[in-house]
Amino acid sequence: MTDTDRLAPGTPVRTFHHDPPHHTRLPRYARGKRGVVIEPEGRAELADDSARGLGNARVEQVYAVRFAARDLWGEGDHHVVLDLWESYLEEVPEGER
Amino acid sequence: MSYWTCGKATWKRFPKVSGDHSDAAVARRVRRLETLLEEKGVLSGARLDEIIDASRSGASPANGARVVARAWTDAAFKSRLLADGTAAVRELGYMDGSYQRLRVVENTEAVHNVIVCTLCSCYPLRLLGPSPSWYKSEAYRSRVVREPRAVLAEFGLVLPDATEITVWDSSAETRYMVLPRRPSGTDSLQEEQLAELVTRNALIGTGA
Amino acid sequence: MARINDVGGTQGFGAIDTTDDPEPFHADWEARVVGLLNALRAQGMFNTNEFRDAIESMPPREYLETSYYERWFKAICVLLERKGVIEPGELDD
Repeated sequence: MTDTDRLAPGTPVRTFHHDPPHHTRLPRYARGKRGVVIEPEGRAELADDSARGLGNARVEQVYAVRFAARDLWGEGDHHVVLDLWESYLEEVPEGER
Repeated sequence: MSYWTCGKATWKRFPKVSGDHSDAAVARRVRRLETLLEEKGVLSGARLDEIIDASRSGASPANGARVVARAWTDAAFKSRLLADGTAAVRELGYMDGSYQRLRVVENTEAVHNVIVCTLCSCYPLRLLGPSPSWYKSEAYRSRVVREPRAVLAEFGLVLPDATEITVWDSSAETRYMVLPRRPSGTDSLQEEQLAELVTRNALIGTGA
Repeated sequence: MARINDVGGTQGFGAIDTTDDPEPFHADWEARVVGLLNALRAQGMFNTNEFRDAIESMPPREYLETSYYERWFKAICVLLERKGVIEPGELDD
């Protein structure tokens, strides 16, 4: 993922099965899940990098992404929104939507 | 003392002082650290006192209430607030110089919003003041994303079945505040009076 | 590897105590710890993400047994030790 990519509002996305040994801000309940981009939420140093204190953190676009409870836990009528760094996300290919 | 290594941090088990893990033991260690930092020229006691005083002043739910009351009475401000919360609250003098972003999410008949930080306890301090213990608790953080309706009922908030709930999990730099619905029968009230109707819980979403 | 702080959707934490705190801090040392965090962060000793990382790296049993602001204090100590500002055991009786 490059930091110049832009995911437009309404884009279906999927979070990676991101399970690093280090600090990250993608909660376990939202890994490998489908959601929809609400809109960009600014650019910021990737928390995973910044936590290592090395001073060379990648800066990435952050997106507010909305998930249906049913897609997270198989049940529930509510939605959960998470602010996710771009490298946590991939666009769902057309054929899989 | 035993050591665990987990990722980059190496943890050691702090010694329990003969079964007493009370405030007194921790307070002693905190004081000792402050003294050490001063002796080593890292941080003076005076500077620390300054920082403590500065962070106490100004942060209060009255700030958030004022923002809400303005939004209830000024439609143009409300539009700006929902489009760019950070810029809008700066008009009222809040969040100046903060690196954080603010998003304000509006409650309607169709949607009720509630805020959490499941990973730690991120919170819009400047607008809401210090966070309540329940907001920081594992019980709230674990359950509100999973069963928000039941959690809200524990706070005494029972929503109509037709009202959907959106939970905002503050996982990055944006901090969230709810714009509650203006109570009915308040048309004659002034902005200051309206602000008094706004509770801290309503700004988090665990109140109406 | 998921860490103990990552509790969203985890079962078993029970009912929420919804009562309000009479004061933001239960003891003065808690306010001092918040001050220490803000001061050390402001002077670049460590950043917020390093601080969160240190809290999260606590062994799970210890994390759950440790009060909120004591977690902060322990994390500050771990970071100061890692940065060579204090020595292991320097805070001990």
